[in-house]
Amino acid sequence: MLRKEQNDLLTQTGPGTPMGQMFRCYWMPALLADELPENDCPPVRVKLLSERLLAFRDSNGRYGLIDEFCAHRGVSLWFGRNEECGLRCPYHGWKYDVTGQCVDVPSEPDESGFKDKIKLKSYSLVERGGVLWTYMGPPDKQPPLPEWEFATVPAQHNFVSKRVQESNWLQAMEGGIDSSHVSFLHRGDLQSDPLFKGAKGNQYNLNDARPVFEVVESPGGLYIGARRNAENGHYYWRITQWVMPSFTMIAPRGNHSVHGHFWIPIDDQNCWTWSFDYHPVRTLTTAEVAAMRDGKGIHVKYVSGSYRPLANKDNDYLMDRAAQKAGKYFSGIEGIAMQDASLQESMGPIVDRTKENLVSTDNGIIMARHRLLRSVKAFIDKGVLPPGVDPVHQRVRSVAIVLPPDVPYKDGAKEALIARPGVAPASV
Amino acid sequence: MKSESARVTTAEEARFRVSYPNSTPRAVKVIALDRKAEAVVKRLLQLPWNGASFFTASAFAAAPDQGASFSMTGWLADLAGLAKNLLDEVDTADLVVMVATAGENAQAASIIGEACSLKRVMTTALIVGGANASDEVLSKTLSHLRPWALMLVIANADDYIEDMLIALRA
Repeated sequence: MLRKEQNDLLTQTGPGTPMGQMFRCYWMPALLADELPENDCPPVRVKLLSERLLAFRDSNGRYGLIDEFCAHRGVSLWFGRNEECGLRCPYHGWKYDVTGQCVDVPSEPDESGFKDKIKLKSYSLVERGGVLWTYMGPPDKQPPLPEWEFATVPAQHNFVSKRVQESNWLQAMEGGIDSSHVSFLHRGDLQSDPLFKGAKGNQYNLNDARPVFEVVESPGGLYIGARRNAENGHYYWRITQWVMPSFTMIAPRGNHSVHGHFWIPIDDQNCWTWSFDYHPVRTLTTAEVAAMRDGKGIHVKYVSGSYRPLANKDNDYLMDRAAQKAGKYFSGIEGIAMQDASLQESMGPIVDRTKENLVSTDNGIIMARHRLLRSVKAFIDKGVLPPGVDPVHQRVRSVAIVLPPDVPYKDGAKEALIARPGVAPASV
Repeated sequence: MKSESARVTTAEEARFRVSYPNSTPRAVKVIALDRKAEAVVKRLLQLPWNGASFFTASAFAAAPDQGASFSMTGWLADLAGLAKNLLDEVDTADLVVMVATAGENAQAASIIGEACSLKRVMTTALIVGGANASDEVLSKTLSHLRPWALMLVIANADDYIEDMLIALRA
């Protein structure tokens, strides 16, 4: 349970809100690089943290993320012409470069200097790992570029997708650290999904449906460990990483790729769910990439020409009651991603946490909220930089490992919890 | 589907969620396992709670030897020092939270855990002071708690327990 004011604090991320200001400390994924595939390609409308923006790539390959609307009469620059190192409004020809600087006002003499007085708000936009990242905070506070491992491995090791989720970012993110739902909601998928099946760890999962959880604070957020019995009195641990504010990484299975998410607020009632799959030391196979494109694992199929899932709230997520009854899909919804998203969206755009009844296995969620609240207060009151901004906090891995019974997993898996180039992940 | 008067939850529809209490207060018994944890629990006692009560087992830190006879009556004390019957307290609990300090003796967890197991009551253990504890020290505390805690939290800040209990409607 959260008090209403706490719920409002964590779920409101628009300009000027405390949580919105904290989000603006971080590099956030804004677009797939494929959305701006070539110089002078069509611009893309982007809404992030409740601000309407426009992304474009100019004639020299520079990326820009600027206020969507022309400073003249408020026309959406999405209709603009992307030409000769700038985006030109089709209404009266005002033109802007990637920094938002107006570089041409045809109705005014060049010598007047009028164009120099016009500048749209703009944010940094850089490509890394097939993703265009933006930093929306004060320019003088811009942190080093993101160093999440998936964004630094060779392109052939990595697959990234995104989908619109019609809910607030926090309830979506909380699903990523709610390890106890896996034994129910996703129980049918461990044995059948091509991106999960076959791992020895799956057997530990299936043999022990009541894992014991341990939540431990990490430098950037939390480790959430799920413990199951293994051979000879040892424990099988699945350790999820949560790094503030909204990065989660799920423990790997066998030699499958490692995967995780970012949840980025579009506005207070919608968010982007970013899903990445990568392997630190090998190329993804053609079959793996085909499965990911086909919506397997943590990815989805789309409504054609969009990033909206094919199964969505307007078609009741293609509910299959027969499959539910037969136990094929526990909720009747196909696919891990939409099994999660359908239930999270069903809570309403912003779930009323004053009505919830958490139990002790929800301590991962409780601790994450605690850290967010503590960090946002320290940031707003004292300017303390929140965890997760420092690239050291980003060089992390989730882990699946078997350890002796009395070993604290954060120590037993200490090396494995850190991303090291060229080193295989700890996985079972 | 056409017979349904409401479909998936939109922002507009979310306003119509039934406004009626969906739970009754639960009994959460918070037990300090050592003297330092007792100080944390004593601080919590000063706050308003719905159904939380606070105890200490710090005077009984050493569990009896295997097979040795002992009585659970009077094994627990409230924070005023009044002896309490562990089994009676557990019997009326929805959740037992054990609070231990990293490096301190947490053997009492076995007695409390045994009682909870007997009465089928959920247990959570919280280790405070874990941030500065060495691996060895933490390992010792974990070895006492792990067999008996169905949820275990190692918190850097002592104020986490307060947030956790509020979140659990204690």
